[in-house]
Amino acid sequence: MPAIFTVDPHTGVPIYLQLIEQVKRSVALGVLAPGERLPTVKQLATDLTINPNTVARAYRDLERDGVIETSVGRGSFVSQNGAGDRAAAALADVASSTVDAAVREAKSMGLKRGQVREIFSKALERWYSPDGDAKEHNRS
Amino acid sequence: MTIALEAPAIDIRSLTKSYGTSVAVNNLSVAIPKGSIFGLLGTNGAGKTTTFKCILGLAQLTSGQVVFGGNPLRPEMFESISYMPEQPALYSCFTGRDHIDIARHSFARFDVARVQNLVALFGLDLRKKVRTLSKGQQSALALTLAFATRPEILVLDEPASGLDPVHQRNVLDLMIDAAAGGATVLFSSHQIGQVERAADHVAILHRGNLVLQGLVEDLKAEEKIVEATFEGDAPSFTELDRNPNVRRVMRQGRLVRAYVTGTGDGVVAAITAASPTSMRILDQNLEDIFLAAVGGK
Repeated sequence: MPAIFTVDPHTGVPIYLQLIEQVKRSVALGVLAPGERLPTVKQLATDLTINPNTVARAYRDLERDGVIETSVGRGSFVSQNGAGDRAAAALADVASSTVDAAVREAKSMGLKRGQVREIFSKALERWYSPDGDAKEHNRS
Repeated sequence: MTIALEAPAIDIRSLTKSYGTSVAVNNLSVAIPKGSIFGLLGTNGAGKTTTFKCILGLAQLTSGQVVFGGNPLRPEMFESISYMPEQPALYSCFTGRDHIDIARHSFARFDVARVQNLVALFGLDLRKKVRTLSKGQQSALALTLAFATRPEILVLDEPASGLDPVHQRNVLDLMIDAAAGGATVLFSSHQIGQVERAADHVAILHRGNLVLQGLVEDLKAEEKIVEATFEGDAPSFTELDRNPNVRRVMRQGRLVRAYVTGTGDGVVAAITAASPTSMRILDQNLEDIFLAAVGGK
Protein backbone atom coordinates (compact mmCIF):
# COMPACT_ATOMS: atom_id res chain seq x y z
CA MET A 1 0.00 0.00 0.00
CA PRO A 2 1.50 3.34 -0.99
CA ALA A 3 1.69 6.03 1.65
CA ILE A 4 -1.60 7.81 1.12
CA PHE A 5 -0.84 10.26 3.89
CA THR A 6 1.72 13.01 4.03
CA VAL A 7 2.88 15.00 7.00
CA ASP A 8 5.02 18.06 7.49
CA PRO A 9 7.08 17.47 10.63
CA HIS A 10 8.57 20.95 10.59
CA THR A 11 5.45 22.97 11.33
CA GLY A 12 4.09 23.83 14.76
CA VAL A 13 1.15 21.46 14.20
CA PRO A 14 1.73 18.12 15.97
CA ILE A 15 2.23 15.27 13.51
CA TYR A 16 -0.38 13.06 15.15
CA LEU A 17 -3.01 15.77 14.64
CA GLN A 18 -2.01 16.05 10.97
CA LEU A 19 -2.42 12.28 10.62
CA ILE A 20 -5.78 12.22 12.39
CA GLU A 21 -7.14 14.92 10.12
CA GLN A 22 -5.91 13.13 7.00
CA VAL A 23 -7.36 9.78 8.00
CA LYS A 24 -10.70 11.44 8.80
CA ARG A 25 -10.60 13.28 5.49
CA SER A 26 -9.87 10.07 3.59
CA VAL A 27 -12.69 8.26 5.36
CA ALA A 28 -15.16 11.12 4.93
CA LEU A 29 -14.38 11.34 1.20
CA GLY A 30 -14.49 7.59 0.72
CA VAL A 31 -10.83 7.31 -0.25
CA LEU A 32 -10.68 4.82 2.60
CA ALA A 33 -13.70 2.52 2.54
CA PRO A 34 -15.37 0.99 5.60
CA GLY A 35 -13.53 -2.19 6.52
CA GLU A 36 -10.42 -1.16 4.63
CA ARG A 37 -7.15 -1.98 6.31
CA LEU A 38 -4.82 0.81 7.38
CA PRO A 39 -1.06 0.43 7.25
CA THR A 40 0.45 -0.91 10.44
CA VAL A 41 2.04 1.54 12.86
CA LYS A 42 5.50 0.35 11.89
CA GLN A 43 4.77 0.53 8.18
CA LEU A 44 3.34 4.04 8.31
CA ALA A 45 6.14 5.25 10.59
CA THR A 46 8.72 3.88 8.17
CA ASP A 47 6.91 5.13 5.04
CA LEU A 48 6.68 8.68 6.39
CA THR A 49 9.91 8.58 8.44
CA ILE A 50 8.17 9.60 11.64
CA ASN A 51 8.18 8.23 15.17
CA PRO A 52 6.18 5.00 15.64
CA ASN A 53 4.76 6.20 18.98
CA THR A 54 3.41 9.27 17.19
CA VAL A 55 1.57 7.05 14.69
CA ALA A 56 0.29 4.86 17.53
CA ARG A 57 -1.02 7.96 19.29
CA ALA A 58 -2.93 9.03 16.17
CA TYR A 59 -4.42 5.53 15.80
CA ARG A 60 -5.47 5.47 19.48
CA ASP A 61 -7.30 8.77 19.09
CA LEU A 62 -8.95 7.64 15.84
CA GLU A 63 -10.09 4.48 17.59
CA ARG A 64 -11.48 6.50 20.49
CA ASP A 65 -13.40 8.62 17.96
CA GLY A 66 -14.86 5.49 16.37
CA VAL A 67 -13.27 6.11 12.98
CA ILE A 68 -11.06 3.03 13.02
CA GLU A 69 -11.01 -0.27 14.87
CA THR A 70 -7.95 -2.19 15.90
CA SER A 71 -7.85 -5.86 16.71
CA VAL A 72 -4.75 -7.41 18.14
CA GLY A 73 -2.84 -9.39 15.55
CA ARG A 74 -5.07 -8.34 12.65
CA GLY A 75 -4.31 -4.65 12.43
CA SER A 76 -6.36 -1.48 12.12
CA PHE A 77 -9.39 -1.07 9.88
CA VAL A 78 -11.82 1.69 8.98
CA SER A 79 -14.91 1.14 11.13
CA GLN A 80 -17.80 -0.55 9.37
CA ASN A 81 -20.58 1.45 10.95
CA GLY A 82 -20.84 5.21 10.78
CA ALA A 83 -17.13 5.90 10.42
CA GLY A 84 -17.83 8.15 7.43
CA ASP A 85 -20.42 10.21 9.32
CA ARG A 86 -18.20 10.60 12.35
CA ALA A 87 -15.26 11.56 10.17
CA ALA A 88 -17.41 14.02 8.23
CA ALA A 89 -18.63 15.59 11.47
CA ALA A 90 -15.06 15.90 12.70
CA LEU A 91 -14.01 17.50 9.42
CA ALA A 92 -16.89 19.98 9.68
CA ASP A 93 -15.41 20.98 13.05
CA VAL A 94 -12.02 21.46 11.44
CA ALA A 95 -13.56 23.54 8.64
CA SER A 96 -15.49 25.59 11.17
CA SER A 97 -12.42 26.49 13.21
CA THR A 98 -10.47 27.26 10.03
CA VAL A 99 -13.18 29.70 8.89
CA ASP A 100 -13.37 31.14 12.41
CA ALA A 101 -9.63 31.76 12.45
CA ALA A 102 -9.80 33.37 9.01
CA VAL A 103 -12.54 35.76 10.14
CA ARG A 104 -10.62 36.62 13.31
CA GLU A 105 -7.54 37.30 11.21
CA ALA A 106 -9.50 39.50 8.80
CA LYS A 107 -10.99 41.44 11.72
CA SER A 108 -7.55 41.91 13.25
CA MET A 109 -6.40 43.41 9.96
CA GLY A 110 -9.05 46.04 10.38
CA LEU A 111 -11.52 44.80 7.74
CA LYS A 112 -15.16 45.76 8.17
CA ARG A 113 -17.99 43.23 8.32
CA GLY A 114 -19.14 44.07 4.79
CA GLN A 115 -15.66 43.60 3.37
CA VAL A 116 -15.33 40.18 4.97
CA ARG A 117 -18.77 39.23 3.70
CA GLU A 118 -17.73 40.24 0.18
CA ILE A 119 -14.59 38.11 0.39
CA PHE A 120 -16.67 35.17 1.51
CA SER A 121 -19.16 35.60 -1.32
CA LYS A 122 -16.35 35.62 -3.84
CA ALA A 123 -14.78 32.51 -2.33
CA LEU A 124 -18.15 30.72 -2.33
CA GLU A 125 -18.68 31.64 -5.97
CA ARG A 126 -15.27 30.42 -6.88
CA TRP A 127 -15.43 27.06 -5.16
CA TYR A 128 -19.12 26.10 -5.23
CA SER A 129 -21.11 25.43 -8.38
CA PRO A 130 -23.91 27.99 -9.01
CA ASP A 131 -26.55 25.21 -9.25
CA GLY A 132 -26.64 24.94 -5.51
CA ASP A 133 -26.20 22.02 -3.16
CA ALA A 134 -27.67 19.38 -5.44
CA LYS A 135 -24.66 19.14 -7.69
CA GLU A 136 -22.03 19.54 -5.06
CA HIS A 137 -19.70 16.72 -4.27
CA ASN A 138 -21.73 14.12 -2.47
CA ARG A 139 -20.17 11.90 0.09
CA SER A 140 -21.35 8.31 -0.16
CA MET B 1 -0.33 9.81 26.34
CA THR B 2 2.37 7.36 27.09
CA ILE B 3 1.68 5.46 30.27
CA ALA B 4 4.87 4.26 31.90
CA LEU B 5 4.04 0.72 32.95
CA GLU B 6 7.63 -0.43 33.07
CA ALA B 7 10.88 0.99 34.32
CA PRO B 8 12.49 3.46 31.91
CA ALA B 9 15.09 1.95 29.59
CA ILE B 10 17.51 4.59 30.87
CA ASP B 11 16.80 6.55 34.03
CA ILE B 12 19.21 9.42 34.61
CA ARG B 13 18.90 10.60 38.20
CA SER B 14 20.45 13.88 39.31
CA LEU B 15 23.51 13.39 37.13
CA THR B 16 26.25 15.92 37.78
CA LYS B 17 29.63 15.87 36.10
CA SER B 18 32.31 18.39 36.97
CA TYR B 19 35.78 18.75 35.53
CA GLY B 20 37.61 20.63 38.26
CA THR B 21 35.59 23.74 38.93
CA SER B 22 33.76 23.59 35.63
CA VAL B 23 30.36 21.88 35.69
CA ALA B 24 29.72 20.07 32.39
CA VAL B 25 26.35 18.60 33.39
CA ASN B 26 24.39 19.99 36.30
CA ASN B 27 21.86 17.85 38.19
CA LEU B 28 20.30 16.26 35.11
CA SER B 29 17.25 14.05 35.65
CA VAL B 30 15.71 12.47 32.57
CA ALA B 31 13.80 9.23 32.08
CA ILE B 32 14.03 7.59 28.67
CA PRO B 33 11.07 5.25 28.14
CA LYS B 34 11.54 1.87 26.53
CA GLY B 35 10.70 1.96 22.82
CA SER B 36 11.14 5.69 22.54
CA ILE B 37 13.41 7.73 20.32
CA PHE B 38 14.82 10.39 22.58
CA GLY B 39 16.50 13.40 21.00
CA LEU B 40 19.04 15.41 22.95
CA LEU B 41 19.46 18.94 21.67
CA GLY B 42 21.85 21.63 22.74
CA THR B 43 24.36 24.15 21.50
CA ASN B 44 28.04 23.22 21.37
CA GLY B 45 29.39 22.55 24.85
CA ALA B 46 25.90 22.05 26.29
CA GLY B 47 26.92 18.72 27.85
CA LYS B 48 25.44 16.21 25.40
CA THR B 49 28.57 14.13 24.81
CA THR B 50 29.48 14.24 28.52
CA THR B 51 25.99 12.97 29.33
CA PHE B 52 26.41 10.07 26.92
CA LYS B 53 29.79 9.17 28.39
CA CYS B 54 28.42 9.27 31.93
CA ILE B 55 25.44 7.09 30.97
CA LEU B 56 27.74 4.44 29.50
CA GLY B 57 30.29 4.50 32.30
CA LEU B 58 32.96 6.07 30.09
CA ALA B 59 33.21 9.02 32.46
CA GLN B 60 32.80 8.90 36.19
CA LEU B 61 29.80 10.72 37.60
CA THR B 62 30.56 13.45 40.12
CA SER B 63 27.17 12.66 41.67
CA GLY B 64 23.88 11.03 40.77
CA GLN B 65 23.21 7.69 39.13
CA VAL B 66 22.06 6.08 35.90
CA VAL B 67 19.79 3.05 35.96
CA PHE B 68 18.91 0.74 33.05
CA GLY B 69 15.48 -0.88 33.28
CA GLY B 70 15.76 -0.63 37.05
CA ASN B 71 19.31 -1.97 37.27
CA PRO B 72 22.72 -0.33 37.42
CA LEU B 73 24.98 -0.82 34.39
CA ARG B 74 26.68 -4.22 34.34
CA PRO B 75 29.30 -5.49 31.86
CA GLU B 76 27.00 -8.10 30.32
CA MET B 77 24.59 -5.33 29.29
CA PHE B 78 27.07 -4.08 26.70
CA GLU B 79 26.04 -6.99 24.52
CA SER B 80 22.70 -5.24 24.00
CA ILE B 81 23.84 -1.61 24.05
CA SER B 82 25.34 0.11 21.01
CA TYR B 83 27.20 3.36 21.38
CA MET B 84 28.34 5.47 18.48
CA PRO B 85 30.62 8.27 19.68
CA GLU B 86 30.84 11.60 17.90
CA GLN B 87 34.23 10.57 16.52
CA PRO B 88 33.61 6.97 15.39
CA ALA B 89 35.92 4.59 17.24
CA LEU B 90 37.50 2.92 14.20
CA TYR B 91 41.01 1.64 13.48
CA SER B 92 42.44 3.77 10.68
CA CYS B 93 44.66 1.04 9.16
CA PHE B 94 41.96 -1.66 9.23
CA THR B 95 39.40 -2.19 6.49
CA GLY B 96 35.64 -2.20 6.92
CA ARG B 97 35.75 -5.99 6.55
CA ASP B 98 38.27 -6.19 9.42
CA HIS B 99 35.96 -4.20 11.66
CA ILE B 100 33.03 -6.44 10.85
CA ASP B 101 35.11 -9.54 11.59
CA ILE B 102 36.17 -8.12 14.95
CA ALA B 103 32.60 -7.19 15.87
CA ARG B 104 31.26 -10.56 14.73
CA HIS B 105 33.55 -12.36 17.14
CA SER B 106 32.85 -9.92 19.95
CA PHE B 107 29.07 -9.92 19.92
CA ALA B 108 26.91 -13.04 20.10
CA ARG B 109 23.98 -11.03 18.76
CA PHE B 110 25.89 -9.95 15.65
CA ASP B 111 23.63 -10.49 12.65
CA VAL B 112 25.60 -11.17 9.45
CA ALA B 113 22.58 -10.94 7.15
CA ARG B 114 21.72 -7.58 8.66
CA VAL B 115 25.25 -6.34 8.04
CA GLN B 116 24.92 -7.16 4.37
CA ASN B 117 21.73 -5.11 4.18
CA LEU B 118 23.33 -2.18 5.99
CA VAL B 119 26.46 -2.28 3.82
CA ALA B 120 24.27 -2.23 0.71
CA LEU B 121 22.11 0.54 2.18
CA PHE B 122 25.10 2.80 2.79
CA GLY B 123 26.98 1.67 -0.32
CA LEU B 124 30.07 0.82 1.72
CA ASP B 125 33.22 -0.59 0.14
CA LEU B 126 34.48 -2.95 2.84
CA ARG B 127 37.88 -3.46 1.17
CA LYS B 128 38.95 0.10 1.88
CA LYS B 129 40.99 1.01 4.92
CA VAL B 130 39.26 3.38 7.30
CA ARG B 131 41.81 6.13 6.76
CA THR B 132 40.89 6.26 3.06
CA LEU B 133 37.17 6.63 3.84
CA SER B 134 35.43 9.99 3.86
CA LYS B 135 33.92 11.29 7.12
CA GLY B 136 30.50 10.23 5.90
CA GLN B 137 31.66 6.71 4.99
CA GLN B 138 33.31 6.37 8.40
CA SER B 139 30.02 7.34 10.03
CA ALA B 140 28.23 4.82 7.83
CA LEU B 141 30.63 2.05 8.90
CA ALA B 142 30.20 2.97 12.57
CA LEU B 143 26.41 2.94 12.11
CA THR B 144 26.58 -0.44 10.38
CA LEU B 145 28.45 -1.83 13.39
CA ALA B 146 26.06 -0.13 15.84
CA PHE B 147 22.91 -1.54 14.25
CA ALA B 148 24.34 -4.95 13.33
CA THR B 149 23.76 -6.45 16.78
CA ARG B 150 20.08 -5.43 16.84
CA PRO B 151 20.71 -3.79 20.21
CA GLU B 152 18.03 -3.04 22.79
CA ILE B 153 19.56 0.35 23.49
CA LEU B 154 21.25 2.64 20.98
CA VAL B 155 23.17 5.72 22.11
CA LEU B 156 24.15 7.72 19.04
CA ASP B 157 26.17 10.92 19.28
CA GLU B 158 25.53 12.96 16.12
CA PRO B 159 24.81 9.83 14.07
CA ALA B 160 24.10 11.64 10.83
CA SER B 161 27.06 13.98 10.79
CA GLY B 162 28.96 13.92 7.54
CA LEU B 163 26.27 11.92 5.76
CA ASP B 164 24.54 13.08 2.60
CA PRO B 165 20.78 13.76 2.77
CA VAL B 166 19.85 10.31 1.44
CA HIS B 167 21.92 8.51 4.05
CA GLN B 168 20.78 10.89 6.77
CA ARG B 169 17.25 9.76 6.00
CA ASN B 170 18.43 6.14 6.07
CA VAL B 171 19.76 6.66 9.59
CA LEU B 172 16.41 8.03 10.73
CA ASP B 173 14.66 5.06 9.13
CA LEU B 174 17.00 2.66 10.95
CA MET B 175 16.23 4.37 14.25
CA ILE B 176 12.51 4.27 13.56
CA ASP B 177 12.67 0.61 12.56
CA ALA B 178 14.60 -0.19 15.76
CA ALA B 179 12.12 1.68 17.96
CA ALA B 180 9.15 0.03 16.23
CA GLY B 181 10.77 -3.27 17.18
CA GLY B 182 10.92 -2.21 20.84
CA ALA B 183 14.48 -0.85 21.04
CA THR B 184 15.25 2.45 22.76
CA VAL B 185 17.21 5.12 20.92
CA LEU B 186 18.96 8.07 22.53
CA PHE B 187 20.60 10.42 20.07
CA SER B 188 21.96 13.91 19.74
CA SER B 189 21.82 16.08 16.66
CA HIS B 190 22.40 19.63 15.62
CA GLN B 191 19.81 19.14 12.94
CA ILE B 192 16.58 19.93 14.71
CA GLY B 193 14.61 18.70 11.71
CA GLN B 194 15.87 15.17 12.35
CA VAL B 195 14.74 15.28 15.97
CA GLU B 196 11.40 16.75 14.91
CA ARG B 197 10.86 13.84 12.53
CA ALA B 198 12.17 10.82 14.35
CA ALA B 199 11.99 11.60 18.06
CA ASP B 200 8.96 11.34 20.30
CA HIS B 201 10.79 12.76 23.33
CA VAL B 202 13.21 15.65 23.41
CA ALA B 203 15.41 17.25 26.03
CA ILE B 204 17.22 20.53 25.56
CA LEU B 205 20.49 21.12 27.39
CA HIS B 206 22.03 24.54 27.73
CA ARG B 207 25.39 25.05 29.43
CA GLY B 208 24.98 21.81 31.35
CA ASN B 209 21.45 22.53 32.50
CA LEU B 210 18.24 20.90 31.37
CA VAL B 211 16.11 23.79 30.11
CA LEU B 212 13.19 21.93 28.55
CA GLN B 213 12.00 18.37 28.08
CA GLY B 214 8.85 16.61 26.99
CA LEU B 215 7.04 14.97 24.12
CA VAL B 216 7.81 16.81 20.88
CA GLU B 217 4.14 16.73 19.94
CA ASP B 218 3.01 18.14 23.30
CA LEU B 219 5.60 20.90 23.24
CA LYS B 220 4.36 21.94 19.80
CA ALA B 221 0.77 21.89 20.98
CA GLU B 222 1.57 23.89 24.12
CA GLU B 223 4.14 26.46 23.04
CA LYS B 224 2.53 29.40 21.23
CA ILE B 225 3.29 32.99 20.43
CA VAL B 226 0.58 35.61 20.92
CA GLU B 227 1.47 38.55 18.72
CA ALA B 228 -0.35 41.86 18.69
CA THR B 229 0.13 45.31 17.21
CA PHE B 230 -1.14 48.63 18.54
CA GLU B 231 -1.92 52.03 17.12
CA GLY B 232 0.85 53.65 19.12
CA ASP B 233 3.60 52.08 21.20
CA ALA B 234 2.59 48.75 22.69
CA PRO B 235 1.62 48.84 26.39
CA SER B 236 4.16 47.38 28.82
CA PHE B 237 1.95 44.47 29.96
CA THR B 238 3.88 44.11 33.21
CA GLU B 239 1.11 41.85 34.56
CA LEU B 240 2.10 39.22 31.98
CA ASP B 241 5.50 38.86 33.65
CA ARG B 242 3.72 37.44 36.69
CA ASN B 243 1.72 34.95 34.61
CA PRO B 244 3.27 31.48 35.05
CA ASN B 245 2.21 30.53 31.52
CA VAL B 246 4.22 33.33 29.95
CA ARG B 247 7.85 32.48 29.24
CA ARG B 248 8.77 35.97 28.13
CA VAL B 249 7.35 39.09 26.55
CA MET B 250 9.02 40.97 23.73
CA ARG B 251 8.05 44.56 22.98
CA GLN B 252 9.25 46.54 20.02
CA GLY B 253 7.51 49.75 19.09
CA ARG B 254 3.93 48.90 18.14
CA LEU B 255 4.51 45.19 18.35
CA VAL B 256 4.23 42.92 21.37
CA ARG B 257 4.98 39.23 21.31
CA ALA B 258 4.30 36.90 24.25
CA TYR B 259 5.81 33.43 24.34
CA VAL B 260 3.13 31.36 26.00
CA THR B 261 2.97 27.81 27.27
CA GLY B 262 -0.21 25.86 27.96
CA THR B 263 -3.41 27.85 27.68
CA GLY B 264 -2.84 31.34 26.35
CA ASP B 265 -6.38 32.43 27.29
CA GLY B 266 -5.28 34.85 30.02
CA VAL B 267 -2.74 36.40 27.70
CA VAL B 268 -5.21 36.80 24.85
CA ALA B 269 -7.70 38.40 27.27
CA ALA B 270 -5.09 40.80 28.68
CA ILE B 271 -3.96 41.87 25.23
CA THR B 272 -7.51 42.13 23.86
CA ALA B 273 -8.39 44.44 26.76
CA ALA B 274 -5.74 46.86 25.53
CA SER B 275 -7.53 47.16 22.14
CA PRO B 276 -4.85 45.99 19.72
CA THR B 277 -5.14 46.77 16.00
CA SER B 278 -4.26 43.17 15.24
CA MET B 279 -3.67 39.97 17.15
CA ARG B 280 -2.72 36.48 16.07
CA ILE B 281 -1.61 33.23 17.65
CA LEU B 282 1.38 31.56 16.04
CA ASP B 283 2.46 27.94 16.22
CA GLN B 284 6.07 27.19 17.01
CA ASN B 285 8.06 24.42 15.43
CA LEU B 286 10.82 22.67 17.34
CA GLU B 287 13.47 25.06 16.08
CA ASP B 288 11.50 28.04 17.44
CA ILE B 289 11.03 26.23 20.74
CA PHE B 290 14.70 25.32 20.90
CA LEU B 291 15.90 28.85 20.16
CA ALA B 292 13.53 30.30 22.74
CA ALA B 293 14.72 27.75 25.32
CA VAL B 294 18.41 28.50 24.86
CA GLY B 295 17.79 32.23 24.57
CA GLY B 296 19.07 32.36 21.00
CA LYS B 297 16.27 34.55 19.69
